[in-house]
Amino acid sequence: MKQVININFQGRVVPIEVSAYDILKAYVDSLSRHFSMEDGKDEIINDIENRIGELFQERIKAGAVCITDEDVNAIIKSIGRPEDFDDADPSATTGNTDAAEQNTQQQQQSSATNTSGKRRLFRDENHKLVGGVCSGIANYFDIDIVIVRIVFLVLLFSFGIGFIPYVILWIAVPSSATTVIGSRRKKLYRDNDEKYIAGVCSGIGNYLGINAWIPRVLFLLPLLSFASKNRWGNWGDYGDFNFFSFSPGALFIYIILWLVLPEAKTTAEKLEMKGEKVDMNTIKNSVVEEMKGVQERVQKFGKEAVNVANERGKVFGAEAGSLAKKGSRSLGDVIAMLVKGIVYFILGVVGISLIIALFAFGIAAMGVFPMKDFLLTRGWQNVFAWGTLLFFIIAPMIAVITWIIRKLAKMKTGSKMLKLGFSAMWVIGWVSVILLIASLSKDFRHSSNINEQEVFLSNPGVQSLEITTLAPGTRFTRNRWFSMEPFEGTDEDSAVIRNTTIHIVKATNDSFRVSMIRTACGNTRRNADTLASLINFNAEQKDSLLVIDQGININKVNKFRNQHVIITVYVPVGKKIKINDRVNTSSRINFSGPFNNNWERDFESIKFENLEDGWDEGEWYTMTKDGLFTKDGKPADSYRRNNKNRSIIEVREGKERLRIDRNGITIEDNNDSEGNYRYNDKPMDKFDSIKLNIKKEEKRYKDSLQKEKEKIEKQLEKYDNREESNTFLLKSLPFKNAMVLFN
Amino acid sequence: MNIDNTASQMRKGVLEFCILSVIKQGEAYPSDIIDKMKAANLNIFEGTLYPLLTRLKNAELLTYRWVESNSGPPRKYFMLTDKGADFYKELEATWSELANAVAALTK
Repeated sequence: MKQVININFQGRVVPIEVSAYDILKAYVDSLSRHFSMEDGKDEIINDIENRIGELFQERIKAGAVCITDEDVNAIIKSIGRPEDFDDADPSATTGNTDAAEQNTQQQQQSSATNTSGKRRLFRDENHKLVGGVCSGIANYFDIDIVIVRIVFLVLLFSFGIGFIPYVILWIAVPSSATTVIGSRRKKLYRDNDEKYIAGVCSGIGNYLGINAWIPRVLFLLPLLSFASKNRWGNWGDYGDFNFFSFSPGALFIYIILWLVLPEAKTTAEKLEMKGEKVDMNTIKNSVVEEMKGVQERVQKFGKEAVNVANERGKVFGAEAGSLAKKGSRSLGDVIAMLVKGIVYFILGVVGISLIIALFAFGIAAMGVFPMKDFLLTRGWQNVFAWGTLLFFIIAPMIAVITWIIRKLAKMKTGSKMLKLGFSAMWVIGWVSVILLIASLSKDFRHSSNINEQEVFLSNPGVQSLEITTLAPGTRFTRNRWFSMEPFEGTDEDSAVIRNTTIHIVKATNDSFRVSMIRTACGNTRRNADTLASLINFNAEQKDSLLVIDQGININKVNKFRNQHVIITVYVPVGKKIKINDRVNTSSRINFSGPFNNNWERDFESIKFENLEDGWDEGEWYTMTKDGLFTKDGKPADSYRRNNKNRSIIEVREGKERLRIDRNGITIEDNNDSEGNYRYNDKPMDKFDSIKLNIKKEEKRYKDSLQKEKEKIEKQLEKYDNREESNTFLLKSLPFKNAMVLFN
Repeated sequence: MNIDNTASQMRKGVLEFCILSVIKQGEAYPSDIIDKMKAANLNIFEGTLYPLLTRLKNAELLTYRWVESNSGPPRKYFMLTDKGADFYKELEATWSELANAVAALTK
C-alpha cells in the first residue's frame, strides 16, 4: 500500500506516490546542481520539468491512477541522469563519459523493445497503421514489419481469422505510448495545405506516408466507373446495384471523414499529422475512459467485499484479513476485466450492426431508386423522391455515423452547426416523404371498373387444358420489386410486374372458357380505366395449352399503378385442368399479391397447402360436380375442406365422445378413445358426458353442453353462409390477395 | 586513451550542428528533435538537449514561440534566427570540408 499525494507540477495537478515524489525531487535537485554553473539554469530546469510533466500527463491519460516509482524511473532513464549528459561544455566532461556512452548504447539497443532493456511485446505507436500490433510484433521478433503485415492481411482476406487475433492483441498488448516513455502517436488530420476539396485525401496520404494521389484515385474510381458505365456495358445482373451503392459509398466515406477529422491548424498538429499516426486509438481510448466508470463501480463492489472480508478478518486475525483483501481486489480486477470485455463486445456488435443496418437501408433505397421512373410522374413527385432520398435517408445516415464517430472520439467542436444543419435536412426529408406519399396515394386512390373480357379460345372443346407461361428462352431476372430484362442492357425502360391471379371455376356448359379482368389504379377513375385498358397481357390457346404472359409489362409512360390481371378458367365437368410446374417454379407467375416480391411467400403458402393435400402444380385435376379432384380422388381444395373440418368440436370423457361438425351432433360411446375434453384443441371445463354415471352433476353439464351446441350451430350457420358468398369474389378483387380459387 | 571517450567527444562535436539542421527543416519541439535524431541513430538524452537548446537560444542562434498544445500547457517550438541560419551555413561548410577530409584520409 502506498500513499499518494497530489503535486502541482508545472501547472498540472499530478497524483503521485510519495516514494515516487521523493525520487523525482532528488532527480530535479541533482539536475539543478548539475546546471548550477549554467547561464540559463532556471530555464533549462523549467524546460525539463515541463517535459516530465508532459510525460506524467501521458501516463495518466493512458489510464494510470497515479505516478509510480517505475514511471518516474522510466522517465528519468529517458531524459537521462546528469552524469549521462553529453555535455557540450568541456568543463563538465569528466570521467563520467564512459558511463554515459555505455548507457547510450544500452538505450540504442533497447529502443527497439523497451526502455527496461527486457524484450517485451508492445504495440508500436510510432510505426502503426491501425493499432500498431503488426509493428509491435515485428519489433519483438526483429523481423520486417512488411512481412508481418502481409501475413495478417493474408489471414484476414483468406479466412477472416486475422481479424480476431488482431483485435485481441490490440486490446491486450500495451501501447508503446505507455510503455516506452516519450514515444508519440500519429494522428489523422485533414491537410489544409494540399487540399483539393477538404484535405481528406492528403491527410490520409500524410498519415500513411504515401502520396496523396493514391487515396484520391481510390475515392475517384467508383465515380469514374459510374461515368464510364455505359461504355463498359452492364455489370451483370447487379449493374445498377454496383453503380448506386459504391460511388455514393465513397462519397459517404469522404463526407464522414470530412466531418469527423479535425483540420491540422497549428504547427503541432501539422507535425502530428505527419509524425504521428491515425488514431483508431483515440477512439479506443475514449471507450476505455468510459469503461473506467464501470471499472470504478466494480471496484466499489470489490471494496465492499473487502469490508466484509475485513469484518471476518476480526475473527480470523489481521493476517487473514489482509489476505482476503488482496484476494478480493484481484477478484474485482477480474470482474472489471470481464465486464469490460463484455461491454466492449456488446458496444461493438451494437455499433457495427447499427451501421450495417443503416447502410443496408440506404443502399436498398438507392438500389430501388432508379425504379422510380416506373412509379413516379415527372415534376413534383420526382422532386419529392429526391428530397426523400437525400434528406430522409442519406442525410440521417451520415448524421448518425458522424455522431457515433464523434461521440467515440469525444469531439465537440462545431457540433452545433452540424446539429442545426442536419435537423434542417431532416425536416426537409420529412416534408418530402409526406408530400411524396400524399401525392402517390392520390395516384392510387381510384381503381378501375371491373370489366370481364372473354379470351378467345381456338378450341374450347378440348378434353384438357394446361396453363403454362411463355416458352423458355425468354429469360427474366428478378431484381427486387421489378424484373428487368437483362438483354437490353442500357434500354431499361420497361419492367415486368408479376401481378397475375388465376382462378379456376366450374363451367356451366361443356366447353372451356377463359376470361380476363384487367384492373389498375389512378388518380381518377377514368385514368385508372385507361391504364387498365393499356395492359397488354396475352393469353392464347395452343391445342391443349393455355399460354399466358409471365407478367404485366409496364414502362415509364404507363407507370406502375397496381396493374393486375385476373385470369378465370371455366372448366367443364368431366374435363381436366393442370397448372404447369413452370408457372410456379421457373417462370414465377404470381398467383396473387400486388407485388412480385410477394410471390415467394405466396408460393410458400401454396406449397403449404400442397403439403396439406391441397393443389399440386403439375398435377392433372378433373372437374366434377363437387369440385376438382386428382385422379387419386384427392380434392384440390382439400385444404379448405380440412379447414372446414377443423371447425368441428369434439369432447371426450372417458369412453364417451361428443362430436359436433357439419353433419350435426354425434355422441359416441367409443371404447378405444381416451383423453381429455377438447374443444377446438382447447381444454374445456371438465364435465361428464350426457350418459354419465355421476348423476348429481348431470343437469349442469347438460345445460352447458346445450349452450355449446347452440353456439356451434350458430357458427356453422355463419360458416355455411360465408361459403356461399365465397363462390365468386371478383367484386373485392383488386387488392385482395385471394389464392387460387376453386369451385 | 579510452575509445569510448574519444567516440563520445566526436559525437559531441557535431551535436549542435545536428540539432540546428533538424530545426532548420522547420519549427521543432524538443521531443521531435530527439525522435528525428533517434531515427538517424543518434541517441541523445533530453537532459542533454535542453541545455544545448538554451545555450543556442542565449547565443541568439535560436528563438522559440509558444504553441498551444491540446494536452496541457503550451509547448516551446524552436526555429532558427537569421543569425542562426548564417551560423548553420558556416557550420555546414565546415562539416563538408571536414567530411571530405576525413573521407579522403580514411580511404
